[in-house]
Amino acid sequence: MSCKKEAVEVSLIKQPGHFPKPHYNFANFELNQAGIDLGKALFYDPILSFDNSISCASCHHQSAGFSDPGKSFSLGVDDSLSDRNSIGLVNLIWSPTFFWDGGVNHLELTGFAPINNVKEMKEDMNHIVDELYQDNDYRALFLRAFNEDTITAQRVLWSLAAYMATLISSESYYDRVYKGEASFNVEQDKGYKLFQRDCVSCHTEPLTSNYNFENNGLDEEFEDLGRAQITLNASDRGKFKVPTLRNITLTAPYMHDGRFNTLNEVIDHYSDGIKMSATLSNKLPEGFHYTPSEKKALIKFLETLVDPFFVQNPDFN
Amino acid sequence: MKIKNITLIVLLGGLSLTSCKKEGCTDEAATNYSEKAKKDDGSCVYEHNHDETGTLNIEVDYKWGMAGADFNMETTLEHPMTGDELEFSTFKYYISNFKLKNENGEWWSHPESYFLVDLSEGLDNPLKIEGVPVGNYTEMTYMLGVDSTRNVSGAQDGALSVSHGMFWSWSNGYIMLKAEGTSPDSGSGSFAFHLGGFQGEYNIVTEKNVLFSSEDLVIEEDKTSAVHLIANPARLWHGSPSVSETAMIHMPGEAAQTMAVNFYENIAFDRVENN
Ligand code: HEC
Ligand code: HEC
Repeated sequence: MSCKKEAVEVSLIKQPGHFPKPHYNFANFELNQAGIDLGKALFYDPILSFDNSISCASCHHQSAGFSDPGKSFSLGVDDSLSDRNSIGLVNLIWSPTFFWDGGVNHLELTGFAPINNVKEMKEDMNHIVDELYQDNDYRALFLRAFNEDTITAQRVLWSLAAYMATLISSESYYDRVYKGEASFNVEQDKGYKLFQRDCVSCHTEPLTSNYNFENNGLDEEFEDLGRAQITLNASDRGKFKVPTLRNITLTAPYMHDGRFNTLNEVIDHYSDGIKMSATLSNKLPEGFHYTPSEKKALIKFLETLVDPFFVQNPDFN
Repeated sequence: MKIKNITLIVLLGGLSLTSCKKEGCTDEAATNYSEKAKKDDGSCVYEHNHDETGTLNIEVDYKWGMAGADFNMETTLEHPMTGDELEFSTFKYYISNFKLKNENGEWWSHPESYFLVDLSEGLDNPLKIEGVPVGNYTEMTYMLGVDSTRNVSGAQDGALSVSHGMFWSWSNGYIMLKAEGTSPDSGSGSFAFHLGGFQGEYNIVTEKNVLFSSEDLVIEEDKTSAVHLIANPARLWHGSPSVSETAMIHMPGEAAQTMAVNFYENIAFDRVENN
C-alpha cells in the first residue's frame, strides 16, 4: 500500500528538475488523483460562498495565471471588494507562507482565508460541510479520495491544497533557456543580464521569488502595513511577500494594491520612482535609472516568464 | 484482553504478506519486526500490555472572584476589581497535551490531546482522557492553549478543526480563549476577547505542572478517576482594564497576553478523586 504512495507522488506532482526541493511535502494526507479531482471541483464551485455566487476561480482565472486580470481589487459576495490585489496561484508548494503579508502559514489553510473572509466568500465551514454532504456527487468524490464519505473541514481544505499543489509552471521560454535547451535573443539577453544584476536578490531564480518580505519602495507612508499587521513589528511596516513573476504579463495590475496597470509602470518605478522610508530594502538603490532601451529589454525578458502550457493546461480546469 | 492482542498480531501478519516488501515494522523490539522492511510503515505491534487502561476525568470547577462565588454563563456578574457588570454568552478555551508521570518516573503522553472547553454547553462536562495505562501517578503536566507545532501544521481535525471558530484565518494561529458577552459598562454594550499567540514575545501558551503530593492518582482497569482543577474567569481582568476602556481584543499582542496569562496562571489543582 505505502510503496505505491511514493510512485503516486512522483507521477501526480511533477517535480521540475531545475527547481529546488518543495517546501510543502504532503505529510498530512495521502495524495491521490481522486483528491486532486475533488479539489478541482471545489475550486470551481460557488458552493464555497455564502450565497453560492462566488467560487475560488471567480478571483483566480487560469487564463490569467490564476490571478484576477484587470482588477486592482476583486469582487466578493455582497458586492464587496477584497482588501488587496488577487495573487496568481502558481508553484505554491515552494512558498513557505501565503498572501501578501504571509499571514497564512500553510498551503492547507489558504482555502480557509477567503471562505472565512466577509469581503470574499463569507461562508461557514460547517455549512459547507453540510451542503457537500447532501450532494451525492460530492459524497462519491469524498469516498474516492479518502476511502470514506465522511466530509470534514479538514478534508475540504486538504483537497483544495491537493489541487493547488498541481498548479506548477516550469515550461516557460525562460525555463528552457535556464535548462540550456534554448537561448535568448539579443534583447531578451540584455534584459536578463539587468534582471540578474538588479532583481534576483529578491526575485530569485528560477522560482522568481525568495519568498521573503521586502519593502520595494512603493510608498513613504503606508496605508497598508503589510507584514507588520501579522508580526506587529515596526521593522516590518510596508513589507510584502516578494511575488513570483511567472506569467507576469497576464497578471496585471501589479503590486499588493494593483496600483500599476502595466509592466512599463513597474519598470519606471524601479528606475526612478523608489520612495524612501525607514524599512526600504537595502537591496534597492534610489533607483536603477534605466535608459529607454534597457527598460524595453527588461520587459522583453519578463515576457519570457509566461508559460502557455500552464495557462492552457486542460488538467487544471 | 490478551486474546484480543493475539488476534491483532495474526491479522497484521497476514496483511504484511500481501503488502509491499520494502515497508513494514523496522523496530526490533516489536513482535512483528521484519528484517526485510526498509521503511517503517507504522505497523509495529508491541508485547507490553497497554490493554489494561482506565479513564481520567479532568473536572474544572469555575469560581468568580476572590470570595469564591460561582461563575455562571448568561448571568450578570460583578467584577470585584473593575466593578464591571458582565454577562458571558461565550466562553471557550483550549486545554491540551496531558502527560502523566507514574511512581517509577515514567511519563505517559495522551495521544491527540486537545480539548476545546465550551462553557455555553455546561459547566460540569469533564474532559475525558481515555486509555490511561493502569498505574499510580505522582505528577501531571498539561498546556493551556495549543502548542506552537499545531499552529503551523496545516488543516487539523477534531477539537482543532477550523470549523469551531477558534482559528484566525487571516493571521494563522488558534484563538486559544474566546470570551464574549454583554456589559452596560462597555461603550458598545458588548465585549469580545479573542486571545491567542503561539510564538515570540507574545506567546500565551502556558505549561502547567501538577504534583499529586498528598495522594497519588490511581488508574484502575475500566474505572474512572478524576483530577479537579479550579478556574476563575474573573482573573482575565486581574491585570487588564475595565471593559469601558478595552472591550475588544482580536489579535495576539501584549493586551491578549496579559489577559490570558493572568487567567491561565491562576488555574489551580484542587484534588484527586480516585475511582
Ligand atoms: C473575492 C476574490 C477571491 C476569492 C473568491 C478567492 N480568492 Fe484567493 N486571493 C484573493 C486575493 C485578493 C488574494 C490576496 C489577498 C491578500 O494577500 O491579502 C488571494 C490570495 C490567495 C492565495 C495566496 C497565494 C500566494 O502565493 O500567497 C491562495 C493560495 C488563494 N488565494 C487561494 C484561494 C482559494 C483556494 C479560494 C477558494 C476557496 C480563493 N482563493 C478564493 C482573492 C480571492
Ligand atoms: C528588495 C527586493 C526587490 C527587488 C530588488 C526587486 N523587487 Fe520586484 N517586488 C518586490 C516586492 C516586495 C514586490 C511586491 C510589493 C508590493 O506589492 O507591495 C515586488 C513586485 C514586483 C512586480 C509586481 C508583481 C505582481 O504580481 O504584482 C514586478 C513585475 C516586479 N516586482 C519586478 C521587479 C523587477 C523587474 C526588478 C528588478 C528591476 C525587481 N522587481 C526588483 C521586491 C523586489
